Amino acid sequence: MSIAVETKQQVAEIGEKYKYGFVTDIEMDMAPRGLSEDTVHFISAKKGEPEWMLEWRLGAFKRWLTMKEPNWARVHYPKIDYQASYYYAAPKNTPLKQSLDEVDPKLLETYKKLGIPLHEQMALAGVAVDAVFDSVSVATTFKDKLNEAGVIFCPISEAIRDHPDLVKKYLGTVVPVTDNFFATLNAAVFSDGTFVYVPKGVRCPMELSTYFRINASETGQFERTLIIADEGSYVSYLEGCTAPKRDENQLHAAVVELIALDNAEIKYSTVQNWYPGDENGLGGIFNFVTKRGDCRGKKSKISWTQVETGSAITWKYPSCILRGDESVGEFYSIAIANNYQQADTGTKMIHLGANTRSRIISKGISAGKAQNTYRGLVSVYGKAKNARNYTQCDSLLIGGECGAHTVPYIESRNPTARIEHEATTSKIAEDQLFYCLQRGIPQDEAVSLIVNGFCREVLQQLPMEFAVEAQKLVGISLEGSVG
Amino acid sequence: MTGITALGLPEARRNEAAALFRARGVPHRRIEDWKYSDLKSALGEGGIGAAVAQWQILHQPDGVELFDLTQSNPPEWVLANFARTTANTMSAASLALSKGGVALRVPKGVCITNPLKLDFTAAGHVRALLVLEDGASLTLVEGVGPGHFRNVGFEFVLGEASVLEHVRVSPDAGEAVLVEEMSVRIGAGGQYRAHFAAFGSKLSRMEVEITLAGAGAQAHLSGVALLDGKRHSDVTTHVIHAVGNTHSTQLFKHVAGGNSRAVYQGKVTVAQGANGSDSNQSAKALLLGENAEADLKPELEIFADDVKCAHGAAVGDLDAESLFYLRARGIPEAEARGLLLHAFLEDAVAEISNTDQRELVRTELLTALKAMA
Repeated sequence: MSIAVETKQQVAEIGEKYKYGFVTDIEMDMAPRGLSEDTVHFISAKKGEPEWMLEWRLGAFKRWLTMKEPNWARVHYPKIDYQASYYYAAPKNTPLKQSLDEVDPKLLETYKKLGIPLHEQMALAGVAVDAVFDSVSVATTFKDKLNEAGVIFCPISEAIRDHPDLVKKYLGTVVPVTDNFFATLNAAVFSDGTFVYVPKGVRCPMELSTYFRINASETGQFERTLIIADEGSYVSYLEGCTAPKRDENQLHAAVVELIALDNAEIKYSTVQNWYPGDENGLGGIFNFVTKRGDCRGKKSKISWTQVETGSAITWKYPSCILRGDESVGEFYSIAIANNYQQADTGTKMIHLGANTRSRIISKGISAGKAQNTYRGLVSVYGKAKNARNYTQCDSLLIGGECGAHTVPYIESRNPTARIEHEATTSKIAEDQLFYCLQRGIPQDEAVSLIVNGFCREVLQQLPMEFAVEAQKLVGISLEGSVG
Repeated sequence: MTGITALGLPEARRNEAAALFRARGVPHRRIEDWKYSDLKSALGEGGIGAAVAQWQILHQPDGVELFDLTQSNPPEWVLANFARTTANTMSAASLALSKGGVALRVPKGVCITNPLKLDFTAAGHVRALLVLEDGASLTLVEGVGPGHFRNVGFEFVLGEASVLEHVRVSPDAGEAVLVEEMSVRIGAGGQYRAHFAAFGSKLSRMEVEITLAGAGAQAHLSGVALLDGKRHSDVTTHVIHAVGNTHSTQLFKHVAGGNSRAVYQGKVTVAQGANGSDSNQSAKALLLGENAEADLKPELEIFADDVKCAHGAAVGDLDAESLFYLRARGIPEAEARGLLLHAFLEDAVAEISNTDQRELVRTELLTALKAMA
């Protein structure tokens, strides 16, 4: 089995449209198709988990059986058959490698296609990459440097083994096992994910990054991420994703939990570029994600930045619970939906502590026949004296067959709180487009330019490594949407 | 045969309404649209009952035709327009359970200057229909009388280039539970201006769905709520730009003191192809009481690209600087606060174009503000 001639062929066939759509044929270690207690046992055994973790999973699975799939979001998709998927897939050579040389060359090849040459990235960007290939983490870099600082950055399965006290203390405390249908499913069958612990007073010496990839056909991917920033620490985490092109719809239900203690800050950035389905709405990833941050300590801060360009269905509301006094929550989002994509995304800012502040900037772009919804909640509780929120939601429509929707909930129970919300809806102005065309800028480039301008406030929030990629993505996602 | 069955209204439609209500039941807070107004728990054991509420015409200007819906042989205009919409749960209940109501019409081209005054009283369900034919114009003053639980289903049909100004004042109704569903259909060039002043009750909800069905149709909504004690007031609007070149504005100002709760849910839908729609929505609330709550949900649902749609919402307290400005000029705090509150509400009151009605609403507000101070 050489680097599959067919893989190369596939890449060629797909052409420029979705340059990350290819399949690597590495032997997979699969759980039997379907979902039952046995599946949960299988996954837990595969990961060599302790008894308490298995119990936790089984509890979640029992609960999940009693739950109903939510239907309030503005997304429509064929009924998901949870028994038709594989819940676990891992590359055969699983034991963790000491260095990159030990990593299966095929995997490295895959990353190269993705534009993540590990060596280069290590040298140039100074980014530690915990690459997740389907479900098992294979290569972890910069470990030593992080060790020196005392930062724990490892696959969550490793953390369960090596740092059980930390995991027990924090896992499921932000997104409880019973939170919602997809989060509960994740709790039962999560295969792997990332664990980060930044000790007291430590400023993480580098941006942490993970690349998620969905590879084996018909495998749902259930990532679980847990990030804890102890008192006075700081960490910036980058998450980026691409997925191979395929016709079956693939389910992805991740859970991300962030915990910021006193004076700590977590910055979480995402570029999501999973396969969105083809021009006719066939295929694509179903992305049902629960992301939530808990500003548990005083003066803590959690900031979410997301660029959502992929997936057929996006159901995602990264939220902040502003529990500590004077804590700060931020949400910066760009959501692009083209062709038949459907995105229902937004945030929740729950103000519990006094003098808490939050800021929401959301830019939604719809093109083709796509539906893009911002759904958000700003809720101020009675004790949140002087809470402050500012929300801005702008929508841009490209073409007359798409939809842009805004559903903000504003609830205030404290007279000293101030909440402001603004929303606008517009289209790409003819005169702007004309101006560009007149100066010889081709239409697609002009659209990309204008849209990038529209999103600028959010793009600025991204770490530099991502900002460049994100700008390109904005352009690629909208190719051919005008004219 | 008497009552609605005598209307010749297809029995099927009424049955449909009854079936719809049976299927959905009394709305409660787990129903998203009723998140902030738990009707089921407010009604308690008694439920919605099957009583019949009353209507009363206090002033019927010349030119307005009236038909009592309990009478037999309804005229053609009633048959054509009555019970056109049943999608709303509580509206379906009013259709299924009311045995009577009132239908009113202003014939083609007739402009009426004197306001028509219509009150709803007593407990139970009641229906009303108001038809303005092409080119007609009218001012409707709707009164909300006492009654423990009342459910009003009100339909408006506005013909081409007709103009309706609707002023609804709902005084503090204590422990009453009051719901009203309006459905308004506006033809080309027609204009609907409405102002809703609410002083709340145990639970009070006013829901209005407006369809801008013809080019040039306009809807201008405004409202104030001034709540104290344990009062609750919910204004829920849905404006549908079904065709292009239609225009809607909304301006709502709510003040919640004591343990009260002021709710505004407003949705604007622009249908596919409704290019040239222009919509503006603004909702602001001031919280005065430590235990008061304001909920705002300004929603946009847009399926066309050549549109101008904006909304703004804000919740807060009186501006500290403005208060300081007045205090610095020797105005006592209570008075200064009163002035600022009045100014806050006045924006919305100024939207009423009928001067007499505007003055009336203003007076009511000032009286209530004094009582709250």
